[in-house]
Amino acid sequence: MTGDQRLGLGLAAGGGVGLVAAAVLLVERFRLADDPAYIPSCSVNPVLSCGSIMESWQAALLGFPNPVIGVAAFPVVITTGMALLSGAVLARWFWQGLQVGVLTGLALVGWLVFQSLYRIGALCPYCMVVWAVVWPIAWYVTLRNLRSGALGRWGAESPVVARAQEWHGLVTLLPYAAVMVAVLVRFWSFWTG
Amino acid sequence: MTNQNKAAVALGVLVTIAVVAMLLVVQSRGGDQPAPVATGSPEESMLVREDSRILGEEGSSGVTVVEFLDFECEACAAAYPAVEQLRQEYAGEVTFVARYFPLPGHFNAERAARAVESAARQGELEAMYQRMYETQAEWGEAQVPHDDLFRGFAEEIGLDMQQYDADYASDEVAARVQRDVDDGLELGVQGTPTFYVDGEPLQPRTYEDFTSAIDAALASS
Repeated sequence: MTGDQRLGLGLAAGGGVGLVAAAVLLVERFRLADDPAYIPSCSVNPVLSCGSIMESWQAALLGFPNPVIGVAAFPVVITTGMALLSGAVLARWFWQGLQVGVLTGLALVGWLVFQSLYRIGALCPYCMVVWAVVWPIAWYVTLRNLRSGALGRWGAESPVVARAQEWHGLVTLLPYAAVMVAVLVRFWSFWTG
Repeated sequence: MTNQNKAAVALGVLVTIAVVAMLLVVQSRGGDQPAPVATGSPEESMLVREDSRILGEEGSSGVTVVEFLDFECEACAAAYPAVEQLRQEYAGEVTFVARYFPLPGHFNAERAARAVESAARQGELEAMYQRMYETQAEWGEAQVPHDDLFRGFAEEIGLDMQQYDADYASDEVAARVQRDVDDGLELGVQGTPTFYVDGEPLQPRTYEDFTSAIDAALASS
């Protein structure tokens, strides 16, 4: 299996998990919209309060529920992954387009993590599944593009990038550890109370 | 194994352990629903205290509707019109009790509860209670204190401002709000709004859920 095929497998798997989570979120949102009398409750338990998140303006950044973006975008990731797995060779411009896509996704997720933790003050499990898959997708696509020179020769020649490749596993895990610590600190009274 | 892999595996194990531990905590906290409160049990006095705030007049039937509420909670604001309608429909019959349950995640919830309690001390519970929900969109979800806004409400209602200021800042009012919270936690209240109709926890999805529960309680009282 070549490097690109391994990446393809990762993209297909990550995209699949992301798609399921986004779909569940969207269905829940429809349920909420369907039944106007349905009252989601504000919970003492910050980890289990999807209602307050779904009703926030941050949950519909572009005027429609965010999971719509996920339901549209994750299949692209899956398809790209499957094509790579089958041995497809993609043009440089395709990789660059994918790069723009994954960075946009990562930026959106980063913003949502911040809003969820520090503005809304609640977490929703399915949203966190989406966070968890978007990061490695973005990271490994970026690493591949840098190493292969799809983003310019400097990427392929940079010692920093080469070092990042060596430590790719640790780099993958660091954001998980960071977000976890942030969740612990932000909801300290919940965890210890 | 290379150093890189060792470091990654070590961190991976740590993260996994922490995630599992957090999930276990969530699991152990999330499961229990508020239990029914039996008549004559010690919990009954916890549900409606001597000094608990009653909206409007006490009902003649002895049936109570208790709501643990948070003025900053959107779901409570969503339930508010239904509760107002119930109060009209069952006026004189059923007693509606408001218990403060400001959630820690809501920056101004505890302040709002203190403002309402301060108003209640001057006999203006309802006016302040209604004002809070009707204006929630203006001040909810903020990360800055809204003491001045709440003070403005008190002025508009026509409270004695010297008294209001003293009450709002007093330890006594803060402790009064906290006693409601403590009762709620003791009863197993997990969030807001939490309703009890005659001691039975009720999770209403429609207005009819309320009326059928109240009608049943009235029939058996």
